[in-house]
Amino acid sequence: MVFELCIRSARALFYLVLLLPVCVGVMGIVLPAVGYFPALGETEFSLTAVHRLLAVEGLPKMVLLALFTSISATVIALLCTIALLAQFYQRPALQIIQHGLSPVLAIPHAATAIGIGFVLAPTGWVARLIASVTESWQLPPQSSLLYDSQGVAIILALAVKELPFILLMALGVLSQPHLKARLAAQFAVAQSLGYQRQTAFIYAVFPVVYSQLKLPIIAVLAYASASVEIPLLLGPQNPPTLAVAILQWFNHIDLSMRLLASAAACLQLLVTAGAVGLWLLAERVAKLFFTGLVVNGARGDGARLIAFCAWLTASVMALMISVFLVSLLSWSVAGYWPYPQLLPGSVTVQHWHTAAQALADPLANTVWLAGLATPIAVVLVLLFLEGESVAQRRQRRYFTVDQVLFIPLIVPGVAFLYGLVWCTQWLLPGHVWLPTVVSHLIYVLPYVFLSLAVAYRRLDIRFINVASSLGASPWQVFLQVKLPMLFAPVMVAAALGAAISFGQYLPTLLASGGRLATLTTEAVATASGGSRRLTAVYAIMQMLLPLAGFVLAWLLPRVLFNPAQRHHTGAK
Amino acid sequence: MTFTSKRHGRLWPLGWALSLFFSCLLSTAATAGPTVQFFGWGGSTQVNQYIQWVSAQTEVEFGIRVNHVKLADTSDAVSRVLAEKAAGNHHAGSVDLLWVNGENFAAMQAHGLLKDPWVNQLPNFSLTRPGDNPSMTMDFGVPTQDQEAPWGKAAMVFYYNQQRVKQPPRNLPQLLLFAQQYPGRFAYPLPDDYLGISFLKYAALVLNPQHQSLMYKPVTPAALAQISQPLFGYLDALHPLLWQQGTYFVRQASGLQQLFSDHETLLSFSFTAAEIPAAVNRFDLPESTRTYAMEDGSLANVHFLAITYNSAQSAAAQTVVNFLLSPRAQAYKQRLEVWGDETVLAVDALTQRQQQMFTTGEHPAAMRKTGYSRLLAEPHASWADALRDAWYARYGARW
Repeated sequence: MVFELCIRSARALFYLVLLLPVCVGVMGIVLPAVGYFPALGETEFSLTAVHRLLAVEGLPKMVLLALFTSISATVIALLCTIALLAQFYQRPALQIIQHGLSPVLAIPHAATAIGIGFVLAPTGWVARLIASVTESWQLPPQSSLLYDSQGVAIILALAVKELPFILLMALGVLSQPHLKARLAAQFAVAQSLGYQRQTAFIYAVFPVVYSQLKLPIIAVLAYASASVEIPLLLGPQNPPTLAVAILQWFNHIDLSMRLLASAAACLQLLVTAGAVGLWLLAERVAKLFFTGLVVNGARGDGARLIAFCAWLTASVMALMISVFLVSLLSWSVAGYWPYPQLLPGSVTVQHWHTAAQALADPLANTVWLAGLATPIAVVLVLLFLEGESVAQRRQRRYFTVDQVLFIPLIVPGVAFLYGLVWCTQWLLPGHVWLPTVVSHLIYVLPYVFLSLAVAYRRLDIRFINVASSLGASPWQVFLQVKLPMLFAPVMVAAALGAAISFGQYLPTLLASGGRLATLTTEAVATASGGSRRLTAVYAIMQMLLPLAGFVLAWLLPRVLFNPAQRHHTGAK
Repeated sequence: MTFTSKRHGRLWPLGWALSLFFSCLLSTAATAGPTVQFFGWGGSTQVNQYIQWVSAQTEVEFGIRVNHVKLADTSDAVSRVLAEKAAGNHHAGSVDLLWVNGENFAAMQAHGLLKDPWVNQLPNFSLTRPGDNPSMTMDFGVPTQDQEAPWGKAAMVFYYNQQRVKQPPRNLPQLLLFAQQYPGRFAYPLPDDYLGISFLKYAALVLNPQHQSLMYKPVTPAALAQISQPLFGYLDALHPLLWQQGTYFVRQASGLQQLFSDHETLLSFSFTAAEIPAAVNRFDLPESTRTYAMEDGSLANVHFLAITYNSAQSAAAQTVVNFLLSPRAQAYKQRLEVWGDETVLAVDALTQRQQQMFTTGEHPAAMRKTGYSRLLAEPHASWADALRDAWYARYGARW
């Protein structure tokens, strides 16, 4: 009975964590936007802030830049995913790509921005290579892809970050047991009808995949339309994307700017909604066009183009990631490295030494935040899923809305986090850890759920039936049958959750008011600082930490709970 | 088979891990002694390391930890305290100690965000000989009224790569000629940044030799018009010759160093002369970097430490400031390999042994002590806002 109560309260808490902060946060920006802000003595409703916002020079450009960069990046990432899948579906290369791209998923946005900045910089390797080969360019070129007013650098970085996510999500869909065989059969039929394999994939397999991919894609798009780290480090300044402007306005010394910022945050909500709306509209149009294509009877069109795109994507990604990693690594140990030399003149561990001293506290904070948020998320998700499976067994309707999970992912953080911070400062003045852990939890919870739900729902119900028939209580079944069997997926989900927590920039910065320095906040801070070498070390550390989590998640189940292994040795 | 406690054995590693986790949690939480939240600009590795050293010292000596909250801009902390005051948080503020000077101090004083006079009570403050050194009690033309303690001195210096540039500009008109000779190879930060606004002040002072006195009084519209006319004439000519043709400005002073390090710019400047040899030692600047001061003047000022009115750790913060003013902490700070920030103590007035601590090393990239031709005092604090607003009005907002 206690267990039942736990399950029920976990379910309530689960929805509470997903919804309450977002709702409170949105209220916390809508009210100031319409002039209600008691802390500043504003208690009359008025549209002054909105008028002030509309009078901001370059506002349309900011909105357009946010829409343009996010939609372009998502389209590029999706098209590249389709090309890769169409070309390599059912081929061994797909697994290589999957293994190659998975680690990229764990790279935080800030580290991606830093790395891409290194690659594109006028003194990056590309420029150095051109300079050495052509023996021109005594000095670095004056124009670069960074900070361009069209946001090309932003698009590139966002696409690099989104592509692995969309691809891995698609691969997850493709590997679902009930879909796998059906899709393979459809694929075979389409090929037997004379379609090239690439076209067969796009016509017969992809539509099914897309229907399940839609929500993750929208989440990615929504995130991109309001992301802060990448446009802040790589984007233009006059004007920047709306989200960056909001960040600057909220942090402005003139407190009345907060009203303007709140109005802008409301606008950001509309912009994000607009980006999603445009996507859905484009999807309709594409569907019409696509339906015509599928039934026009033409065979084999575009197979070569697709193959070309796929190889191009694969090689560009491979090249980009390797240049990215090697640049970071070489800068992190570089002594003097004048332009245009291709290699550092000397190698030193001094930067690592410096970072080790400076990062002790941020590292501890990072690990603590993840160490607090992740177990809470895992426990909540496990109890939630257990409630779901209990209800299913009893043939009761259980109110699960997977869509709710996407709410914190779709509502822009830059919009609701400020409102949330305002409320927590009012309710819990002086607290640092609690609001920060909660703000991490908002983002960790959905990912832990997405990662764990598949395995949990797939668990063979006969184990539970057998255990129950042997007299085990639901609690015993949960603790002694399910958890050990699900130990590996739980660890993976925890590692993912920790990785998400490690990468949080805005939630950490805002909720802690800058008092909890983490690896990510320090990395963003040094990225605009003077030492490229130190920045490289920070970015590498940012990648190593989630990697360590995943390695642990992979190792622990082998060491601790491995029923198959035990059975195997027992049989000897 | 029944479900008995036997099977619990399998869960022991998990339980062990959990208990370890929580015991760690408890031991961290149990660390005794107050922590002073020190908000200050965090863009310099040396400064950050120095504050870490300070924290280690104060923890041993007084059981006080100093947590450095690294800011990109000090005004972030000011707006935080202001927000706390607006929200009615008068006793448990999140900011204890603040590294400020000039306009942020003036803004905090105007809004009543500073602790009541306290500096005179510090035993070590007398070592600065405030009676003989008016700059210890004046901050950008505003009396400190005992509400901020001096911490260090700085002056603006320029640096160049002697392998690529033979003749660096020696004054502001020459700087424009330099930009014409090497287009795109000079940059200055946005005026939101202290170094950006300092460049504007330097240019304004030097371009208005007849009217400099206007800038040492609170700004008036007429004075601003007078001062900004030659300033904007100069900048109009300079901007197209800047890095990125002046369409993109670095946000922070430290960004300038990276541009120079990448050879994207060939001339740069700083308000912390000692950071240049340190950056050379860290490989962040080329070995052939040389530092010098402009002949038409170097903007110079003292930087200060303030305690907020709502600090929860006011007493501990004062202990920390007194330590920061001790000969040991000041001498360590002045060492070239540490920070190189010039001491505010009147070294002549110290004991022989204390004076010996202040001998500093030499470095080819370091600024020579005698290298300054003439020091320009900071204009009145009100000028910063006025010049900044005028700059944005003329050259467009940047975020």
